[in-house]
Amino acid sequence: MLTIWGAAQRFCDGITRRNFLKIGAFGAGLTLADLLRLRAAAKSAGKTSLPNKAAIMIYLPGGPSHMDTYDLKPNAPAEFRGEFKPIKTNVPGIEICEYFPLQAKLMDKMAIIRSIVSVDEHSDSLVMTGYPERISRVTNHPSFGAVISKLRSTVDNPVPAFVSLRGMSRGTEPGFLGIAHRPFTPSGPGLQNLRLPGAVSLERFEDRRALLHSFDSLRREIDASGTAEGMDAFTQKAIDMVLSGNVRRALDLSTVDPATRERYKGVEQFLTALRLIEVGVGCVTLSIGGWDTHSNNFTTLKRQLPQVDKGVANLIQDLYDRGLDKDVLVVMWGEFGRTPKINNSAGRDHWAPVMSALVAGGGMKMGQVIGSSTERGERPKDRPCTVSQVLATLYTAMGIDPGMTFLNGAGRPVHLLDDRQVLTELLG
Amino acid sequence: MRIVYRFVMMLAAITMFSEANGARAAELSAGPALASYRPKPEQVAKLEIYPSQVRLRGWHDAAQLIVTATLTDGRLQDLTGDVTYTVSQANVVRVSPSGMVTPLNDGAVEITASFGPHQARVQVLAEKVHENLPINFGNQIVPIFTKYGCNSGGCHGKISGQNGFRLSLLGSDPELDYMTLVKESRGRRLFLAAPEKSLLLLKGTGQLPHGGGKRLEVGSDEYNMILRWIVAGTPYGDPKDPVVVRISVYPERRVTTRYNRQQLAVYAHYSDGTVEDVTRRAQYETNDVEMASVDFTGLVTTMGQAGEAAIMIRYQGHVTVFRATVPLGLPVPNYTFEPKTIVDHYTLAKWRQLGLMPSEPASDEVFIRRAYLDITGTLPSVEAVRAFLADKDPKKRDKLIDRLVDSEEYAYYFALKWADILKVKRRNIPQRAQGTFAFHSWIKDSLAQDKPYSQFVREILCAVGDDRQSPPVFWYTEIQTPEQFVDDVAQVFLGTRINCAQCHHHPYEKYSQDDYWGMAAFYARVGRKNVVSLGTPVQNQNQARLAIFNRPTGTVTNKRTNQPAVMKPLDGNPVICGPSEDPRAKLVDWMTDPKNPFFARAVVNRYWAHFFGRGIVDPLDDMRETNPPTNPELLDALARDFIEHGFSLKHLVRTICKSRTYQLSAVPNDFNKHDKQSYARYYPKRMSAEVLFDAVSVVTGSPSTFPGMPSDRHGASRAIMLPDEAFQSYFLDVFGRPQRLSACECERVNEANLAQVLHLLNSQEIHDKLSRPGGRADRLANDPRPDAEKIEELFLLALGRRPTPEQLQLALQTIERRGPQNKKQAYEDIIWAIINTKEFLFIQ
Repeated sequence: MLTIWGAAQRFCDGITRRNFLKIGAFGAGLTLADLLRLRAAAKSAGKTSLPNKAAIMIYLPGGPSHMDTYDLKPNAPAEFRGEFKPIKTNVPGIEICEYFPLQAKLMDKMAIIRSIVSVDEHSDSLVMTGYPERISRVTNHPSFGAVISKLRSTVDNPVPAFVSLRGMSRGTEPGFLGIAHRPFTPSGPGLQNLRLPGAVSLERFEDRRALLHSFDSLRREIDASGTAEGMDAFTQKAIDMVLSGNVRRALDLSTVDPATRERYKGVEQFLTALRLIEVGVGCVTLSIGGWDTHSNNFTTLKRQLPQVDKGVANLIQDLYDRGLDKDVLVVMWGEFGRTPKINNSAGRDHWAPVMSALVAGGGMKMGQVIGSSTERGERPKDRPCTVSQVLATLYTAMGIDPGMTFLNGAGRPVHLLDDRQVLTELLG
Repeated sequence: MRIVYRFVMMLAAITMFSEANGARAAELSAGPALASYRPKPEQVAKLEIYPSQVRLRGWHDAAQLIVTATLTDGRLQDLTGDVTYTVSQANVVRVSPSGMVTPLNDGAVEITASFGPHQARVQVLAEKVHENLPINFGNQIVPIFTKYGCNSGGCHGKISGQNGFRLSLLGSDPELDYMTLVKESRGRRLFLAAPEKSLLLLKGTGQLPHGGGKRLEVGSDEYNMILRWIVAGTPYGDPKDPVVVRISVYPERRVTTRYNRQQLAVYAHYSDGTVEDVTRRAQYETNDVEMASVDFTGLVTTMGQAGEAAIMIRYQGHVTVFRATVPLGLPVPNYTFEPKTIVDHYTLAKWRQLGLMPSEPASDEVFIRRAYLDITGTLPSVEAVRAFLADKDPKKRDKLIDRLVDSEEYAYYFALKWADILKVKRRNIPQRAQGTFAFHSWIKDSLAQDKPYSQFVREILCAVGDDRQSPPVFWYTEIQTPEQFVDDVAQVFLGTRINCAQCHHHPYEKYSQDDYWGMAAFYARVGRKNVVSLGTPVQNQNQARLAIFNRPTGTVTNKRTNQPAVMKPLDGNPVICGPSEDPRAKLVDWMTDPKNPFFARAVVNRYWAHFFGRGIVDPLDDMRETNPPTNPELLDALARDFIEHGFSLKHLVRTICKSRTYQLSAVPNDFNKHDKQSYARYYPKRMSAEVLFDAVSVVTGSPSTFPGMPSDRHGASRAIMLPDEAFQSYFLDVFGRPQRLSACECERVNEANLAQVLHLLNSQEIHDKLSRPGGRADRLANDPRPDAEKIEELFLLALGRRPTPEQLQLALQTIERRGPQNKKQAYEDIIWAIINTKEFLFIQ
């Protein structure tokens, strides 16, 4: 089944993974005790502040073919290798697909992992939480972005910590971290709340503030829990956010210079992601394309690959140009690879035994390929690793211990990831 | 990880300690100097050492001395770290400044502890110091792994191990650990020919790269113990060797002061009756970092708060607890407090003990709003407020509570609470709606008619049939496995979380996997099948409904033994159940027995937490030996009273709400302003999502509708009446409505966040409610009464009080400035400001 740009994703099982609920909530973060704990931990580790790196997680829904993107097999038999040719990159010895010419010039600023083992499941659960949907549905493991939200949401940070440009899905759910860590989705009520309702002028808003200030006679000291105090701080920040419109402006690309807009033409969400990170968002997730190519794999890919190339290459270049490459980490992957052998409909089917991923930035070691798959791209050959281990590496690069625990609803401390051996090659 | 986490907790506690020290000392300058707990020598009446004699056996033995002074005013003060120790023969034993005695050579000596002119003595016998006594792997080696975090859940203790090396979690399975260390990987971890070159020691001491870093010092006692075990040929120990049967701590309880210290000594009691000092090897954890901290060696430091502190101590799967009562220590003025319900006897006793003084009684304005919101989740109407304020009847508060408990809103509001933890959930499956509606309705009716709680629980747990004949069957839609059954029964009805014991010995509890599976066995004969509704085609699976029945046989497998588990309630005796009996009924018999230690306590604690914002045991569903109640007598009395009154929930609510304690003001005095656990004042709380939603609807005069719900006067569009989670609302989600994922009330979050504030301040939804034609602003603008009267009414409705003259003035000015044609707009702005005040958002 083919997918259409921008429309709801339909996969081969016929289920439409619509954004089942649109809600953006952000902010409710750490309790005072959590915060003190983190600060103390940061202090003891010789750091002065909380982790402040950010992440952009690009999800390729449906599962892109590894053998037609980052792991080409030109020497495999024709029914395996497919139509596409590899091209050289600016790192000697590393080759990627001919439809990725922009990335080929930036290979020294990216790293490819070619030996990831996944599960056969049409869901972003594994790549976002580290756990497949069949497990996460029961255990409610939190999304990567929700964890960032939990750790970064303090009153000092008046922007949403986690933004999803692709709506809500299983993989964006905060699970046991609580509904407050759902991503902010810049649509629906969450977005509307950033601008004053039509009938309320700025003047009237100021009047309202004066009334509010006078009416509120609750004495703060009666609430030892800190909620009342938090509310005051949030009220101030919320008013600032509405009036300053920083997040709203980040989302409004009409103010961006035309040359930049031209570079991102057709893949504007990459630019939006970059701009959100620049105003202080901790994690942005977006998706592009539809990759469930059971038929006409090559026709679909010929159309989609250049778009991906444009988006991700511009994004990485801009991160470097703005000096953000150490502080912002990018990962791009789907839920699994695709069958090495081409089927009768010129398609490739689901293939979980091996897939590839692209990572960049975050102070990680770039310009390398980690692991490899077998001659026909069927299994990992060198250095097999799991999705969870890649996520553990990303957490570590962000300054977050993937072994840290949060209490789940049953009061049990649960590690962010159980399988958390890091890929040391990336961390250097 | 566990260790790291605890370490961080300690750091946090220390940070708070030092900050608090400065800030609060200044604040409480009226009180006595807080500089030191250490008495002057002339204040000491007597000095004593515990234990009365010490016997050290083998070179690795050690004993912690506890030196206690009895002061002239009768108080006991720990001076373990403050006295000077001298030994009659220095080559026999060594005493550290913290009172730890270690042997050097065989011999008998006397240790003297001196504090000014005061002295205390203890006889010490050291023997077999240079003999190699047999080592028992489980008793002596495994605890080292536990103390240093090697076998914690974050490291080698997790089920998949760490880098190929797995130990049992917290040493729960010494046999497995032995096999792993000695036999696995062709024995590469231990090197008998050159024991100090063993991988275990090289990695543990950081001499070889180790992911977990350096855990052990070369030459430390623990290092030497492991080394000697390898030298001795890695013995497992005699199977007849004694095992630890329990641990104890000295002292168990102390009344101390703020910013004070107490050294603990911990003893392991073996099956052969011997006792060993394991102070160095036990693990310590504080329950509340704001009350007390504890370090690696068992030294407890109290913080700046008055209250009850608890320190959990663990060793070899056994737990115990040290409890400290920490009075405020300031001279309290005389006050009287006439107890009204049983609650007051026990709260008062606690305040007297802690040197706290309760706040003043709450005013009628505050009280009526509080009682309405806490009991019915509903704002009182203006008429109700006016009538109550005017009422001169001295019993008017009691009468109000009686009325509220019998209102329909009470039943709805508490049904919401129960529906959360009973997981009344549609999960986007439309066919489930019949079940959720019926179950919710059943819960609400049960509460309205005050069905005995024991009966309520019995009907849920023992439900049979389909959800039309028996609505509680719906509970089993979410409870599909024996594990879910145990977890939810324990957490919801027994107030205890035993989920951990499914796979390993519970780290904070005495419960083992056998205890867990003993509970799971009661689920063994639950039969489930999907039945098709009459009149619908069999093929239509969507119409199938869950039916629950009892099977005559069936077992649940104990994961540890792989054998059928024996039915056994927690701390109870095994249960035999005939083929025609329902094992679940036997479980409920045990639960609802008046002597059951969990059942009544769990529910009274849950209700207490509803009204006071914090359970007597906190978290409210985490009752365990190592998490003691802050006021055990109060909890027991409430539970007893609840049972004596036929498990009546309404009686429980009346007992709590009619107490003077519940009716205290939230405004603190100098004595209780830091109090968070003794209920010496009311702790304000933010209205929960549904209550707030309804309150906003009422104040704006703009009710909402929920799809599929009736919109008549009774069933109206009130959020507290929603039967399940399926009603979409950005407002409710953002204010923390739970998704009913877990059986924990903690899923409902009442913390503040930015999105909430933003929504109330600036959303289209609120704007629409404010400006709606026929809404309150519209009506008030067109109401011919004087504006001052209308504003007073608004304040009474939203805040339960009249505006201050300044507030009234500002509101009138706003109306005047906007002019007659924009009057509605002015009222919108006034209402907007009211619903955004903290005073509105909080129940106080």
